[in-house]
Amino acid sequence: MKKDYTVVGKNIRKLDALEKAMGAATFTTDIKLPGMLYGKVLRSPYPHARIVKIDTSKAEALPGVKAVATYLNTPRVKFNTSATSTFTIPPLQPVEDQYIFDSVVRYVGDEVAAVAATSKKVAEEALELIEVEYELLPTVFDPLEAMKEDAPSLHHCEAGKNVPGEKIHIEMGDIELGFAEADNVFEHTFKLPVQKQAQMETQAAVAQVSVDGKVTVWSTTQTPHPSRRILATIFGLPYSKVRVLNPPYIGGGFGVRIGLSAKAEPIALALAMLAKQPVKVVYDRKEDFIASDTRHSGYVTVKTGVKKDGTFTARKIVGILNSGAYCSWSAEAPGVLGAMGLSIYYCPNQMYDGHSVYTNTTPAGAMRGFGNPQGMFAVDSQVDIIAEALRMDPMEIRRKNIMRPGLPWVLPYPCQSSGLEECMDLGAKAIVWDQRGKQNQDRDTIRRGIGMAIGTHVSNAWPFCGDYSNAYVTVQQDGSIQVASGVPDMGTGTITTLSQMAAEVMGIAFEQVGITFADTESTPFEIGSHASRTCYASGTAVVAAAQDAKKQVFEYAANMLEVTPGELDIENGIIYSTLTQEKSISLGQVAMEAHLRGQQFIGVGRIIPQNAPPYLAHFAEVEVDTETGKVRVTKMVAAHDVGKAIHPLIVEGQLEGGLAMGIGYALSEEIKYDDRGRQLNNGFHKYMLPTAMDIPELEAIIVEAEDPTGPFGAKGVGETGLVATAAAIANAVYDAIGIRFFEIPLTEERVYRALKECK
Amino acid sequence: MQKKILKFKLNGELMELLVSPSDTLVDVVRDQLGLTGTKKGCGKGECGACTVIMNGQSVNSCIVPAMQAMDAEVETIEGIGTSDKMHPLQETFIDYGAIQCGFCTPGMIMSAKALLDGNLSPSRLQIKETIAGNICRCTGYVKIEQAVLAAADKLKATKDK
Ligand code: FES
Ligand code: FES
Repeated sequence: MKKDYTVVGKNIRKLDALEKAMGAATFTTDIKLPGMLYGKVLRSPYPHARIVKIDTSKAEALPGVKAVATYLNTPRVKFNTSATSTFTIPPLQPVEDQYIFDSVVRYVGDEVAAVAATSKKVAEEALELIEVEYELLPTVFDPLEAMKEDAPSLHHCEAGKNVPGEKIHIEMGDIELGFAEADNVFEHTFKLPVQKQAQMETQAAVAQVSVDGKVTVWSTTQTPHPSRRILATIFGLPYSKVRVLNPPYIGGGFGVRIGLSAKAEPIALALAMLAKQPVKVVYDRKEDFIASDTRHSGYVTVKTGVKKDGTFTARKIVGILNSGAYCSWSAEAPGVLGAMGLSIYYCPNQMYDGHSVYTNTTPAGAMRGFGNPQGMFAVDSQVDIIAEALRMDPMEIRRKNIMRPGLPWVLPYPCQSSGLEECMDLGAKAIVWDQRGKQNQDRDTIRRGIGMAIGTHVSNAWPFCGDYSNAYVTVQQDGSIQVASGVPDMGTGTITTLSQMAAEVMGIAFEQVGITFADTESTPFEIGSHASRTCYASGTAVVAAAQDAKKQVFEYAANMLEVTPGELDIENGIIYSTLTQEKSISLGQVAMEAHLRGQQFIGVGRIIPQNAPPYLAHFAEVEVDTETGKVRVTKMVAAHDVGKAIHPLIVEGQLEGGLAMGIGYALSEEIKYDDRGRQLNNGFHKYMLPTAMDIPELEAIIVEAEDPTGPFGAKGVGETGLVATAAAIANAVYDAIGIRFFEIPLTEERVYRALKECK
Repeated sequence: MQKKILKFKLNGELMELLVSPSDTLVDVVRDQLGLTGTKKGCGKGECGACTVIMNGQSVNSCIVPAMQAMDAEVETIEGIGTSDKMHPLQETFIDYGAIQCGFCTPGMIMSAKALLDGNLSPSRLQIKETIAGNICRCTGYVKIEQAVLAAADKLKATKDK
C-alpha cells in the first residue's frame, strides 16, 4: 500500500462531532415514541434469597400501570448478558446462568420484577405495591471464601466450587526447570479492587413490538448483532425478526455493555410484549452501579525466577477473580489477565492458572483492559521489586526482558511488530527519567517520585473468543460511497476512522463517504465494539469491502477506457491510467454509466482478523504528602505503539481517557460492600472518579510500528491507556516514599496507614 | 399534586406550561419541551451532565425544582449556536477533539460558557475548577481544557476587533 496517504493519518473533523456539540445527537435515553411506557425495576434488597411469594395484584391495579413482569410471566430461557455467549468457540460452552427474572436472587440489586406504566412516577409507585416474601439464603462475598467446601453454591458448576466456565491453564516451556535455573525466585500476591465503568449514559433500552410481532430494540449496547442473538434466543424469535440498533449514539461504554446493557433490553422487551406498547427502560445511576457489570476484583500472585544479571528464567501467574453473582465475562477475563501478563516479557518457561469465582456481589464483566490492568499491576510492580533487589535500573531490567518480534510467546499468533523499546525511550526522555531518585531532600515532607511500567494488549478478541467482521462498501451513482458496518461508535471515533479507511482505499474525498452503522437490519454480521477491535478488525473488513468495490470499478472503467484494470489507479475520485496520461474518467461517470446499464458496484468485506500487539510504556511522576498520605500524580507520560494512527487526535483522546481512568484505578476508585452485601459506593458522590482537578499534565506520545496484519498497519488502542497506569503510579510512589503497595487504590487512608506503620 | 403554571424564557423564547411541583427543570426541558440536548447522568446533582444556564449562572438542572425557573432566563445547549454559526465553544470542542461519546458535552459546554460569559481570560486552574463538577469519563479532560482556553481566545479576538 502506498505510504503518502491523503485521508488516513489526518485529523479530519469527526463525523459525530457537530451533532454532539449542538446537543442534537440522539442517545437511547432521548428516545420518545408514540404511546411509549416507562419501565422500572424492582431489585432485591438481599444478597441471596429465595422468593417464596410474590404478589403483584396491587401494583397491577394502580391506574396507569400496563404490565408487571416477574419470573412467573416471562420466558424461562437461560442466557448470559455478555456477547461472549454468542461466540464461545467449541468445545468450550457458554455459561448461561441467568434468567430475566428468577425465583432466587443472588446479589443486592438482582432483578425481582418490573413494571411498565404511563409515567416514571406511576411505575415507581407501583414497585412499592409489589409484595415479596423472601427466604434468606447463606451468603459469601470473597472469591477465596467462595471456593471453600462449606461455602454456599450460587450455581451448579463443573469446574470447581462456584467456578463459572472452565479453569484456564496456559503453559510454555518447563516451569520447574526455569525456577531451578534461577538465581533468585520472587513471589508476591496482589489484591485488586472493584472498579466501575461509570460511563456517562446509564444502561438503557427502548423496545417496540409491531402488530405483526416484529421487534425493534434501541439500546446502549456495544454489540448490536450479538445482542440481537441473545434477545432472539430468550424470546424464541427468528433473528431476522429482531432489530437491534443504537439510535445511533451511546454515552460511553468501556465494556459495560458488550452484549446486553445489563438487562435493560430483555426487561424492556418483556414489558413491551406484555403491555403491547413500546417501553423504555433507563437505569438510574444507582442501578447502574449496583446492577450492571463492574471490573473484576481479585487476587493475582506472580512468581518469577531471575538470573543474577536480571534475565527472567520462569514466571508463573495465578489469578483468582471475583465473578460476582453471574458469569458475564468471567470465563474469559482470567484468560486475558494471564495471557497478557505473560506476554509482555519474553520468558522461556511460563505458566498461568486462573479462574473466576461466584460470590453474592454485583456481577463483574468487561471493563476496558479486561483483566490486563489487574495482571500488569502485579507483574510490573514485581519487576520493580526484582530490579531493586538486583540493583538494576527499572528501565534496564525491562529492556533486557521485553518481548521482541520473532520470539516465542504463549499466544497462538506471532508477534510481528513492536515499538516498545522506542516507547520506553521516548517516555523516559519526556518524564526526565534521569532525575529519578534525585528529587528529594532529607527533610521534605512532600516527597516526589518517578515510576514506570509497560504493557501490551490485543487488537481483537481472538483467540479468547470468536471474532470476525463483515462490511459493505457500495458505490452510489454519483461516485460517492456508502459504508455499512454493524459496529457502534461509542465515542471512540470509529465511524470517522472507518470512513477514512474507505475513502483512502477508494481514492475519494472523505466528504464523499456516508456510513450506516450499529444496526442489525442494515448491516451484515459484525461483532461490535470491544477488545480494542473496531479500528483493527472492523477496519480490515471495511478495507476489504472497499478493495472489492474498487476492483469492480476498475474492471468496468478499464473497459470504458480500453485499457487493462491493472494499470488503473484512482486519486481524488479520478480514475486514470498509470501508463497513458490522457486516459482518465471520474468515479462518478463510471458509476453512472454502470447504473444506466443495470449495474452497481457493491463491495463486500468478509474477514477473520489475525491479531497484533499494541505496546505501551507509562511514566508517572508523583508527590506524596507524608503527613496526610495524599498521593498526587503531577505528570503522566504515555508512549504507545499504535501501529498506525489513522486519526491522531482520536488516538490521543483514547490514550488520555484511558490514562485518566487508570489514575482513578490507581488512586481513588473502588466499590466496597458492607457485611450485608450492599455497595458502599453506589453513586458519584461516594465513588471517587477523577475530575478535571485530579488530572495532571498528560503527555500522549504516538509511536507507529506498523503491523503487517493491521489496516494501514494499525493496532488496537481503545484499552491500552490504562493497562500499566496503576503499576507506573505505584512504582513512582515507591520511589517517593520507599513503601511497596500490594493493593490499590492508593487512597489517602491506605498510604497514611502504611506511612505510620513504617515509622 | 396540583399542577402549576410555569412561565420562563428558554433560549430566548417565552414558554408557558403546566408542571407538577415535584418536576425538576431537567425533566421539564427534556421530557415536556423535548429539548434532549441537556443530558441526565445521575439526577442527583453529582455529574453536571444536566448543566444549563439560569439567569447567567450554571446550574445542575436535575436538582432545580422547575417552579424555581419562574420568570427566569434559561439557556440550554440548543440555544447557544446554530450549525452555521456555532458558539466558539462548540467550534473548539469539535476542533480540539474534546468530544468523544458526547454525553457530557452539552453540560460541559454550558459550564464553560457560564465562565466565559464573565471572564475571557480564565487561567487553566479556573477552567479546571469550573468544570470540576462536570464528569467526563471519556476524554481525561485535557482536550476539554484546551478547547475552553481556545474558545476564550476566540471570543477575546472577536471582542477586541
Ligand atoms: S444529572 Fe444533574 S448533575 Fe447529574
Ligand atoms: S465525552 Fe463521554 S463523558 Fe465526556
